[in-house]
Amino acid sequence: MLNSPSGFAMPKSLHAVWEGTRAALHSIRAHAMRSMLTTLGIIIGVAAVIAVVAIMQGLSSSITQQLDDLGSDMVTIRAYTTQEDQLLGFNKTLSYDDFLVLKSKVEGVEDMTATMQPFSFGSTVSYGRNSVQTQIIGTDSSYQNVVRIYPEYGRFLSESDDLRRRRVAFVGTSVLKKLNMSENSVGEFISLNGEWFRVIGIAETQGSIFGFDQDNYIITPFSTMRSLSGDQVTRNIDIMFRPSDPAKLPEVQEQISQILRKRHNLEKDDADDFEFHSAEKTKKQFDSVTQSVTLVAGGVVGISLLVGGIGVMNIMLVSVTERTREIGTVKALGATPQFIMIQFLIEALVLSLFGGIIGLILGYGVASMLTMVMPNMPSALVPLWAITLALGFTTAIGVIFGLAPAMKAARLNPIDALRYE
Amino acid sequence: MMPTEAQDTAIISMNNIVKSYQMADETFYALKDVSLSIEENDYVAIIGPSGSGKSTLMNILGCLDAPCSGTYFLGEQAVASLSEVELANLRNQSVGFIFQSFNLLPRASALENVMQPLVYRFIAVKERKRLAMEALERVGLGNKIHHLPNQLSGGQRQRVAIARALVTKPKILLGDEPTGNLDSQTTLEIMALFDELHAEGHTVVLITHEPEIADHCHRVIRLKDGCIESDVRRQAHA
Repeated sequence: MLNSPSGFAMPKSLHAVWEGTRAALHSIRAHAMRSMLTTLGIIIGVAAVIAVVAIMQGLSSSITQQLDDLGSDMVTIRAYTTQEDQLLGFNKTLSYDDFLVLKSKVEGVEDMTATMQPFSFGSTVSYGRNSVQTQIIGTDSSYQNVVRIYPEYGRFLSESDDLRRRRVAFVGTSVLKKLNMSENSVGEFISLNGEWFRVIGIAETQGSIFGFDQDNYIITPFSTMRSLSGDQVTRNIDIMFRPSDPAKLPEVQEQISQILRKRHNLEKDDADDFEFHSAEKTKKQFDSVTQSVTLVAGGVVGISLLVGGIGVMNIMLVSVTERTREIGTVKALGATPQFIMIQFLIEALVLSLFGGIIGLILGYGVASMLTMVMPNMPSALVPLWAITLALGFTTAIGVIFGLAPAMKAARLNPIDALRYE
Repeated sequence: MMPTEAQDTAIISMNNIVKSYQMADETFYALKDVSLSIEENDYVAIIGPSGSGKSTLMNILGCLDAPCSGTYFLGEQAVASLSEVELANLRNQSVGFIFQSFNLLPRASALENVMQPLVYRFIAVKERKRLAMEALERVGLGNKIHHLPNQLSGGQRQRVAIARALVTKPKILLGDEPTGNLDSQTTLEIMALFDELHAEGHTVVLITHEPEIADHCHRVIRLKDGCIESDVRRQAHA
């Protein structure tokens, strides 16, 4: 005791934790196979939750980003017909006049455009011997400002295109590909339902959302479409706008509502016959889907972790019985019940935390692999909260289910334990 | 032929120790009114037929068990009234156990086994190693420190166990049939080691039923039916 290590004097409990950790690691290493099997339940549970969360989060962040790219500020106004009215044969509409009034009167709007989809006109486009189905949109030059589509080659529709009902088309890249046209086909003529249109611009490629191709469309002047497809389709149009300040969107919507209600002669108690759609709304809906999937996955995993925890407890109880003589021996050597309790508790804790960490890595690996194999899947993303939660939960499982075996070990009577065969 | 009177140097003094167990509906007395004192550097064998109370006496001597009545002083410490934790600390400080079946930790090396009791003291690992090495060298196993118990012979295992008992510098070495699992040659070697330790000043108490073992000791306490039948002090044959 000459060089009594006063420098190493730790609080008793800390000392016990330190020694307990050493002993626990030693014991886990000595039973590597059994330890691995014990934690398997926890590994699988954590891996499952991390994989699900990683995929959902990856998906969610990619969707959010794509919706942002699209412009979450963009709002579409559409006619809304209740089911009752539909059955009675009424169809509510938004007219071109509605649009003109709104465009001239509503304040706080960066730009506003009218669009129509002339379904009666057909949706077949052909070039040479190739033809393909696509989405044909009739709109005006403002569309570019509202939707934020920009030309890669050529130009977008101009005001005069609309005024003079020019037969010109602004084309998405997917259409070009499907028709086997060259990348820069400005000046070429394509046929829409037998009418010839000159290509004046090619759009920048948007990519796809949810596997939906965002580049499969042809945009033509509103007035051209109206003259070609007849009066019928122009009765009902969509109006799109972008508020100059997104924060003031509710006020802008209020203005629009008032004007439209007045124009449509709605009584005070009547419901709106139109509705607003925005990417923001879609995003919220999507978020709530992601949230509930994550919650359900979390619940399932909670149960599997519970089962894993029971597995840990089971093996720990076996281990205590198996090591009864050892426990008796160390008690004879002076181990206090507290010390033994801490040692077994740490062993359970290390086992389950170890399972948590391996599960975390495994889950991320599985998610990354899945997202690589599946087409159109964004890369997996594990948020910090999921990591914290997984490790916190496994820690809790270790402590809760380690308690019973640890107490059993601590309470062993040394005389009986020493004699145990 | 006379019981010890020298109380001033006594390391162990027991007075009127009674230990009983409650069986179904009768009380079984394992120890009935045992008084004894053991002095420093005593070399004692406690012998007797099975059922005589040897094991019970050893458990109480080793602070593993508390008597039902009577007083027991180990050094200056009154043992009878101690809590479980205090008993554990007292065992760690004052008692060096040597078991019949060695009771080494199977997955720990010789060195780690000897270091084990120091874990329960506030001693840094480096110092632990130094003390354990010292103890292992003392029992002649300085070259086998990294062997696991199953790589050692019975005699070597018991030497490790003795080193483990020595490393804490206890007040008494308490051997429970320490040669019960050894062949006659190894028994002689181990007994020679006990003789040496006694000669160095250790207090040695051996529980045994073999007369040859008792022959090594300087004092033989014979138990029968929970009472001390005889307590003989004599000169050992070299």
